[in-house]
Parts: sequence; C-alpha cells; structure tokens
Amino acid sequence: MGKKNAISIGRMFTTPGQLVSLLVLVMPLAVAFYMSFTDWTPTRGSLAQAEFVGLENYRELLVWDTRFLEAIGRTLALSAICLCLEFLLGLGLAVLFMRSFRGKRALLSAFLTPMMVLPVVVGYTFWMLFQTNGPVNQVLQLLGMAGPEWFKDSTLAFAAVVITEVWHWTPLFFLILLSGLNAVPENPIRAAVILGANPRQVFWHVVLPMLRPVIVVAFVIRTMEVIKLFDEVFMLTRGGPGSSTETISLYIYKLAFNDFQLSYGAAAAFMVLVGSLLLVHLLLTPIKDQLMEDRH
Amino acid sequence: MAPRKLGIPLAVVMGAGLAFTLFPIFWLVMTAIKPPIDWNASPAVWLPSCPTFINFLTLFDPDAIREYGVGGVSQSATAAVFGSILASVASTCISVCIGLFSAIGISRYSKGSRSTPLVILSGRMFPPAAIAVPFVIIFSTVSLIDSYVGLIAVYVAVTLPFSTWMLKSFVDDLPREIEEAAMLDGMTRVKAHLTVTIPLIKGGLFSTTMLVFILNWSEFMFALVLSYSNISTIPVQLSKYVTATAGTLYGVQAALAVLAMLPLVAGGFLIQGHLARGMTFGAIKQ
Repeated sequence: MGKKNAISIGRMFTTPGQLVSLLVLVMPLAVAFYMSFTDWTPTRGSLAQAEFVGLENYRELLVWDTRFLEAIGRTLALSAICLCLEFLLGLGLAVLFMRSFRGKRALLSAFLTPMMVLPVVVGYTFWMLFQTNGPVNQVLQLLGMAGPEWFKDSTLAFAAVVITEVWHWTPLFFLILLSGLNAVPENPIRAAVILGANPRQVFWHVVLPMLRPVIVVAFVIRTMEVIKLFDEVFMLTRGGPGSSTETISLYIYKLAFNDFQLSYGAAAAFMVLVGSLLLVHLLLTPIKDQLMEDRH
Repeated sequence: MAPRKLGIPLAVVMGAGLAFTLFPIFWLVMTAIKPPIDWNASPAVWLPSCPTFINFLTLFDPDAIREYGVGGVSQSATAAVFGSILASVASTCISVCIGLFSAIGISRYSKGSRSTPLVILSGRMFPPAAIAVPFVIIFSTVSLIDSYVGLIAVYVAVTLPFSTWMLKSFVDDLPREIEEAAMLDGMTRVKAHLTVTIPLIKGGLFSTTMLVFILNWSEFMFALVLSYSNISTIPVQLSKYVTATAGTLYGVQAALAVLAMLPLVAGGFLIQGHLARGMTFGAIKQ
C-alpha cells in the first residue's frame, strides 16, 4: 500500500463529484459566458449562428440600463438594512439565551422555526398578513393608525420585504451567534473581571472581539443569500409596484424568462457574479487567517 | 461562572420576540382550517368560525370545495406532492452519496485545499436565475426539460457542494488513527473507509441528508423554469394558486403551504444540534 495507491483512491472517491459539477455546473456556466458576448435570443435559431457582439451587452447594462443599476443598488440597500436588523435582533436574543431560565430547549426550537419554513411559504404567508384587510392592518387600527395598502406604495412594499426577510433569517444569526457565545472561553472573561471590568466592558471589549470570525461568517452567508433573493419577493410583490422591490435576481429572471433576452440576461448574471465575488472577498479578508487556522 | 437569571423585564422582551416569531405560522395554520367565508373576510377573522379540513381535501379532490359554493379549482395538487417527493428524495440520496465519497477523498487524500472556504462560498453565490438560463437551453436540446431526470440532475449539482463540505467537516473531526488502526489489522483502505469511517459519522450523515432534503424540498426557481406540464413540485403549485382565475384560494393555498412545511419543521427539530454547522458549510462547529 504505497503512496500511489492512496492517491488513486483519493482520485476515485472525488471523481464522481467533480464529474457532476463539471457536467451540470461548469458546462452551463461556460455556455452562459459565451452567450453573454452574443446577441442571441431563442427566436434567432441556434446559439452557434448567433452574432458575436463582444462587450456590447455589458456596455449596455452599465451605461444605459438604469433598471439594472437600480436593482443592484436596491439589493445592496436591502442587504445592508436586513443584515443590520437581523444581526442586532439575533445578538440580543443570543445574549438573552446566555441567561438561565426554564424551558430553554423548547424556546430555542420555537425561535428557530422560521428558518425551517420554505421561502415560498414565507412569501405567501406575509402576503396574506399584509393584505389591506389583513391582520397587520387590523393591529395598526387598534393602535389608532389607518392601515395602509402595503403593496401599492413603493416604500411600504419595500418595508414589507424587509420585515419578511428579517422574520425569516434572524434565527440564523441568533443560532450562529449563540454557538459563538457558547464557545467563548471563560479565562479571558475571568481575567477581565479580576482587572476590574464591569459586565458591559467585558461584553464590548472581551466577548465581542472574540465573536468577530463568527459574525463575519454570518454576514457573508446572509449577503450571498440576499443577492440570490427571489422566492419571497416573487410571492410577495413580484417586484412591484413598478419595479420598486425588484431584486437583482428577480430582474435577471424577468429578462430571461419574461422578455427572453437570454444573452443580455447572461451578461447581467456574470456581472452580478463578479461583483458578489469581490464583495465576499472583501468581507472575508479580516478573518481569512483565522478561517485557515481552523482548518488545520 | 453561573449564568445570571432572566429577570421579568427581559422575559417580557423575549415574549414579544416569541409572539413576532410564531404569529405568521399561527396565521398560516389558521387560514388552512378556515371555511371559504372566513378566507378574506373584512375585518380579518383570527380564529376560524367553524374549523374544517375541507381545504386539505380540496388539494386532492378539486371538487370537494363545491359544497361551500366555491368552484374553479382546476388542478389537484396530487401531482405536485408526488413530484416534490420524487425529486427531493432521489436528488438528496444521489447528492449525499456522491458527496460522501468526495468528502472522504478531500479530507483524507488531498493536500492543497487551504482556500476551500472561499471556494465553497463562491460556488453558492451565483444567482440561480443566471444558471437557469443555460440549463433551459441545454436541457431543451437533449429533451431533459420538463422531466424529472433533468430536475433531479440540477438539484444534485446545486446541493453537491453543500453535502460535500458539510460531510467533510464531520470526517475532519474523526482522528486518522482510527482508520490507520483498521488498516494495520489488514483491511484495505477502501474497506476501512466503508466499514470504519462511514459508520462513525452516522450522525453527521443523517444531519447532512436532512439539510440537503430541506434545500431540495424548498427549491422554487429551477422547478419554475424547468417545468411546463409534465412535472410539478409543491412550491410551483403554491405559486399558481395566486393567479387562479377564481380569485385567490387562500385556504387551499394555505393548506398546501402547511403540508409543505410540516416535514421541514419536523426534520429541522431533529437536527437542531447540527443546524449551525450545516448552514455555514461546516465553518462553525457546535
């Protein structure tokens, strides 16, 4: 059993996975990449006959397509707002869960439930909740406010999307931060207390810095998810009113499957991919060394 | 240090959070057991006037709701339920099997995989809308569009990074010495992996399977663009009730949503301990 044997076994084990990824992920991506440099649409015969237009699609997107640029800005704004709210709420809840109280296990399960619900179901449920004669407006009326028409006003529709996302994914932040808090070693905290730090100082200057890698991981994962956000918005608003809640994924979907501008849509998709790669790279930079240490 | 107790003010805060968390689910379940007259009543009805299972029956027998004077449910959801089960179970099994071998291969035999976290993360980042375009084109030339084989292939490919990296984190936790001991007893490497490694990560294997199942069961966009009339899944069927010509069938739609949600909530509780690891591709271990 030499080294060679071991290498060939390793190869044997990893080959099926690589083949599947190559056939079903890399190949379509290559086709899409080529497509993004042509002016192909399904009505113009096969892809092979399509005319090569170079960077025309990309130029069009960046220079003329305000809807595309707006969708990007909106998706970034949505990420920023949702992530901050989810982080603060999740952190608050995780800190509460560090206290002792009865029924902790059951409550933990209850708080994690939203994460387990299908995005489409979440979208449908909040669509019902935000109906003009729905329960949200009923509660607002009890508080003496007139219930608005949520899906007819662009700001309110955007707010509805934010609330839906926050409801759906705060549990993920909570879960990640809770496991981070549980893993914080006790010695540095003891040392800080002996040196005279009060609980607030301990939290801000000892505990929180140790949570940094965990927080970054949570932010990176959620950023990726918001960039892909589609299901909930599709069920809630279909991007409306107008295009005021149109995320970048929804815009690409509409380009490709409503307007059949496939090559143009592919170009948009690649720009989003490159942009989000850069974004994640930036977000991961501060903890890169730590991530690699963890993986021995 | 003993943790401090939760005082009453903070308990109230937590109660408010709990209400916010559970209310949408409460509303969905209540709507599913409302008779048609309560569906879209003004002002909204919180508790059904007379609870009924008619919405669930209507899913499988579209004419059942006629006794309440509502017609026009054109499609039964039977095909969608069947389709969801077929597509998710098949693709989950295939994805986890392939992922298991990749995980062992990468964890035990490959060296230069230091940059993995970034690679995995970027693999999950491409908007599905973008991959969907070439899928539709390629699949329509090899007539895999509107077929379960095509849908399953997509699901396997999309969840494969997930099952591979989650399982790899479980294999990484296992000391190499265990397998080496088995090999000293005369086992071949392959046999050592099959009879020692795999049984020892049973728990991780189960959690990974559940998480991949959750991903496949919830998937919406690929099913939407790859299905015309031959195939359907629950999420696609769910999105169609909104546009039904008979107006919105709130109760029936909610009933299907509840059915779709049940296996996931149950499964999610079973693997609660591994949820953080799964959702972060093994970056965070609990």
